[in-house]
Amino acid sequence: MEIWYHNENPYPFVPQDVLDRADSVRASLPNRYCDPAIAANLFEETLDEFMLCDDLGINVVAIEHHAGINSLFGANPLILGILARQTRKVRILSMGTLISLRPDPVRVAEEYATADVISRGRLDIGFVKSGASEMASNNANPVTNIERYWEAIDLVIKTLQHQDGPFSWEGKHFTHRHVNIWPRPWQQPHPPLWAATGDPDTTSEVGRRGMVNVLVLRGEDGTKRAWSAYRQARAEAGLPPVTTSNFAYAALAYVGETHEEGVAIGSKLLWFLNTSLKMAPQYAQFLPGAMAPQFAPQVYRTKPQPPVRSDKETGAGKPVVSAIQNVGGLIGLTAEQAMARQILFAGSPDTVYQQIMDFYTNVGGFGHLVIIGRSGFMTHAEAEKGLKLFAKEVMPRLKEIPPRTVE
Amino acid sequence: MGGLSTRWILSTLSNAEGDLLMNDTDPSGMEWLSVGNSRLEVLRRGQGQPVLLLHGMQNIDPHAPFLDFLSRRVAIIAPSHPGFGHSPRPADFDTVYDLVHLYLDLLNTLPYEKVTVMGCSFGGWLAAELAVTCCHRIDRLVLVDAFGIKISDRETPDILDVFNTSPQEVQRRSWHAPEQWTPDFNAMSDDAVVVRAQNWESLCLYGWHPYMHNPQLKRWLHTITCPTLVLWGASDRIVEPSYGCAYSELIPHARFEVIANAGHHPEIEQPAVFVDHVVRFLEA
Repeated sequence: MEIWYHNENPYPFVPQDVLDRADSVRASLPNRYCDPAIAANLFEETLDEFMLCDDLGINVVAIEHHAGINSLFGANPLILGILARQTRKVRILSMGTLISLRPDPVRVAEEYATADVISRGRLDIGFVKSGASEMASNNANPVTNIERYWEAIDLVIKTLQHQDGPFSWEGKHFTHRHVNIWPRPWQQPHPPLWAATGDPDTTSEVGRRGMVNVLVLRGEDGTKRAWSAYRQARAEAGLPPVTTSNFAYAALAYVGETHEEGVAIGSKLLWFLNTSLKMAPQYAQFLPGAMAPQFAPQVYRTKPQPPVRSDKETGAGKPVVSAIQNVGGLIGLTAEQAMARQILFAGSPDTVYQQIMDFYTNVGGFGHLVIIGRSGFMTHAEAEKGLKLFAKEVMPRLKEIPPRTVE
Repeated sequence: MGGLSTRWILSTLSNAEGDLLMNDTDPSGMEWLSVGNSRLEVLRRGQGQPVLLLHGMQNIDPHAPFLDFLSRRVAIIAPSHPGFGHSPRPADFDTVYDLVHLYLDLLNTLPYEKVTVMGCSFGGWLAAELAVTCCHRIDRLVLVDAFGIKISDRETPDILDVFNTSPQEVQRRSWHAPEQWTPDFNAMSDDAVVVRAQNWESLCLYGWHPYMHNPQLKRWLHTITCPTLVLWGASDRIVEPSYGCAYSELIPHARFEVIANAGHHPEIEQPAVFVDHVVRFLEA
């Protein structure tokens, strides 16, 4: 199993009364509350944690979110550029440039190829569907988001692997009459591709394409449902089975010297759920295209009535309501609840190892574990201490688990 | 001209028997019409001069009182745009360009030399586009709190971004008396809630960028030669009356009239006064 470290670089230092009064902590919270000096310190600490990971042999993940307290990584390629040069050994996963929000996928492919070359082939490329408040922050039509997502991925892949001079693209959402990037990527035909999604429609397409599917905070049921759709789609398409290396799980995780210490410090990670997810209704249940309209009766009403339509009636390719419900269901969890739902692994080295392996067994195995190891008010020192303990006491046992074929 | 549209025209021209034979009328009283490869749910009511009514952010509610008042004087033909109401949206039918050409096709399909075109809100944008393109088929034009053009400077949006504003604020700015018109999703049928969500999605699809207007339209409004009434709710804060006044000044000989105690939907909030204004204009 491969281990990855993920820190969204959140900005938690906004007064609580400001957050309480705001209808949304993303998109619309005035940026006067972001002190650039504090932000500079947070970038330095987070990049230092990535450098520590390079020493410890833990791969690193750089994400992208926009205009919110949950993350200061609004420009993924800039972070990749730093990591490509400053790390020397570990792999770097871009998770990712939000591809459906950028007007020119060719430019994104060029940035990826550059980072792959600077890092001498240590780049993994992840695609994230995006949504919610990021549609407002990026001036992106939410209704056509999923169409742009797949068209952009197709164009990025072709751009990365095409080596025979300029080609032309006249798609529905993107046009580019002359594509011929320099440099081309180090890895051939292109770096490994990942996709973060849990909805069965998108996961099925990820499966047919053989990308690594990463599930973020989905717990056992959501993870099993997605990976089952992945495998079933491959089988139905007559494609060969894949190994556990095609599956990744991302969870909040912290290792302390004792179980109590691990849980106490690890519970600080719940800030991500309890504080940074607050979003105004126009970015959530009333965002056009966020769900198939058939789910509106469940989502619009304040007094829910029993659903009358089955999942089969959802529009093809649209995110289903479970994505919204998943987010809603995460707010307000205690550490014990989060651990029970297997979105938080926390405790001593032994208890964390056991929690991970229980989950591994329950979902049928996976080849990559992404540990979300710092969030909210957890300090840099605490994060580094947890990383070192994880690398010394837990990681060697996980790394012994080889990839295996999953039917 | 497709087969279904031909049959619909026959029924329009003939009698009750024709209606029974030719129309696919569903239990809500809506009829179905084919234009090209689009199938449209259409509300038809009243007798007299034909008025093509193009709805705004929501499809026409068949129970809206203004329909009864208006249908005493005119024959209303009110389709639901593809993706609104129960009208399906064909694949890749996703721009205002598509809507405008659909309704140009409809104008050519209808068995009238000329019709009056009335458009509300988003539908007002479509009506203005039709008038610019096909004025010779339009008897009179009525724009009601219409979208479609850019008036103010680049840092002043003319039309409230309804997708980036809280639903409560959108409600507050939509009505003169918002508390009377807040939708109660708990009380609506499942179908009504699904339709509202579909309407919202379709509106966003068509109107996202450039937001609710066509930068080129303003340049061509001067070519509209039919008599035009620009009608506005005095309390409209989705798009203010000053925008309506400026809109009317770009259309030769257009009249601009304001309805008191009404917001973005004067036809809903002040149905009798609204119809008075329209009928006076049509009979002038």
